Amino acid sequence: MPRSAAVAATRSRAQTSGRAWRRRQRRLPYYLVAPAVAVALAVAVLPLIYGLWLSFQDWYLLRSPTPEWTGLGNYADLFRDTAFWDAFVRTWIWTLGTVAVEFGLGLPLALLLNRDTPICRSLSALILTPWVTPFIVVAYGWRFLLDSEVGSLHAVFAFLGIVGDRSILSEPGLNLAMVTFISGWKGTPFMVIALLAALKNIPDELYEAARIDGAGAWQRLRYITLPLIRNTAIAIGLVLGILAFYSFDLAWIMTRGGPGESTTIVGIMIFQVFFTELRPAYAATISTAMLLVLLIASWLTLRTRGEETAA
Amino acid sequence: MSRRRKLKDAGLDVVTLVAVILLLFPVIWVIVASFKPNSEILAGGFWPEELTFEHYRAILARSDFLIALRNSLIVGLASAIVSTLVALPAAYSLARFKYRGREGFGLLILSTQMLPHVAILVPLVIVMRSLELSNTLTGLAITHLTLGLPIAVWMLRGYIAEVPVELEEAAMIDGCSRLGAMVRVVLPLVAPAIVAVATFAFVLSWGEYLLALALITSTDVKTLPLALQALFDPYSFSWGEVMAGGVIIALPAIILFQIVRRYMIGGLVAGGVKG
Repeated sequence: MPRSAAVAATRSRAQTSGRAWRRRQRRLPYYLVAPAVAVALAVAVLPLIYGLWLSFQDWYLLRSPTPEWTGLGNYADLFRDTAFWDAFVRTWIWTLGTVAVEFGLGLPLALLLNRDTPICRSLSALILTPWVTPFIVVAYGWRFLLDSEVGSLHAVFAFLGIVGDRSILSEPGLNLAMVTFISGWKGTPFMVIALLAALKNIPDELYEAARIDGAGAWQRLRYITLPLIRNTAIAIGLVLGILAFYSFDLAWIMTRGGPGESTTIVGIMIFQVFFTELRPAYAATISTAMLLVLLIASWLTLRTRGEETAA
Repeated sequence: MSRRRKLKDAGLDVVTLVAVILLLFPVIWVIVASFKPNSEILAGGFWPEELTFEHYRAILARSDFLIALRNSLIVGLASAIVSTLVALPAAYSLARFKYRGREGFGLLILSTQMLPHVAILVPLVIVMRSLELSNTLTGLAITHLTLGLPIAVWMLRGYIAEVPVELEEAAMIDGCSRLGAMVRVVLPLVAPAIVAVATFAFVLSWGEYLLALALITSTDVKTLPLALQALFDPYSFSWGEVMAGGVIIALPAIILFQIVRRYMIGGLVAGGVKG
């Protein structure tokens, strides 16, 4: 930046002694960024490190008030904990199901909204509503819809013979599928907006050229649209998958992980181990293990993506 | 051809409209139910035969709900203001200076966005308890900084980078200091974006559930999501009242977000914000 250097020179000669002023200028960007970095360290990095340390401790609040070093003891317990593995499997079903619903609902909606009409423009704004509505509200809304006494969706399900007198949320198996669907529904607007941004970047000329070559609507979708939004789709699928993997709010408000453990995903298990079983160290162990799984999964996804792009 | 095209567009518009209404249906249902008398809620059906404000009257007469409304406002405003005040200089630093560690700092701040709360819940709660900040609005507001701060830094950095450096240099030639130029030249130009990120931070804090649930137990410091949950009283419980409470929580979030939407969309997609 030669010009700002010139400005700086003029200024320093005019006012303070040059060297002190320059030193202050050099430190200025650090001073400015410091508070934000401090917040990030205090509320994210330090808790992560403290959590990692906790995972090597034995700390059961009913037995001992202070943590004691146990090394990998918690991890050995975790490995043998069938409740954890069940929750782990449920979490993968939940995560993949959520992302599948988000694509299943999001892609058709994005294609429909990718037209420049007044209705599409206003609907693109409106469609974000489920996503900005707080979890507590959508969860109670869905509980109301699915309630066995007053729920209208429950009435539909009962009519179709999917459920009997009990709400679908009380039927093990079906309840996990239902809450997973709702989780995908809540994330769909985000998917739509992201895909829409990618769709708008595709030049019209490509479609015109294809049309001249005689490609039908389906072929244009298959050979132009889908390949060109693929990278965005993978990136956004990964982001939404990570969010789903660590879900807590929706499943907790709707079913508390029950009945039994039928909807206990790992996020709920962490909460219960901490607050109900009073075993903070073990809860921290589960969190740390989940972060590791996530790191590996993201790395694998990004690597396959990188290889395919390179090839 | 052009007429056929128009017809096709109109047809697709109708399909789109129906699809979006179906997607929004659960939210619409909550709003409709909040205006239905209890007798109609129990009977089922969609269109209300008579509209009533009884649920809103009932819920706004509850002192615990009003206290929660106040608490949510305090926590939301505090975390929005502090995150914006912290984010603005950081964004300026990342956008305008080249220095060692810049990319690392930027990445560190942004990565806190992707860190799931449930993964750091245990250590965060233990630390807050030992600092005697659990069960306080201050403690909750501090943890809520993680919600809005990263996205605020990220977005403001982009907006500041778009302001031509020449404008600042002109101000500095005219005798402004570097910070003076930032305040007098850059700040007014990015003011709408600042309002947008602050509003968004408020919206995120307003609806936040997990941290509030983990940190807050006493009624006098509960926020709205916890107060709504408390309405599920097994002895006297009304769906209409819960739905009315839901609307009171959801409406500010929806409206505020719509107001600042056009400043936020690009950054949201890039940053992958928890919804």
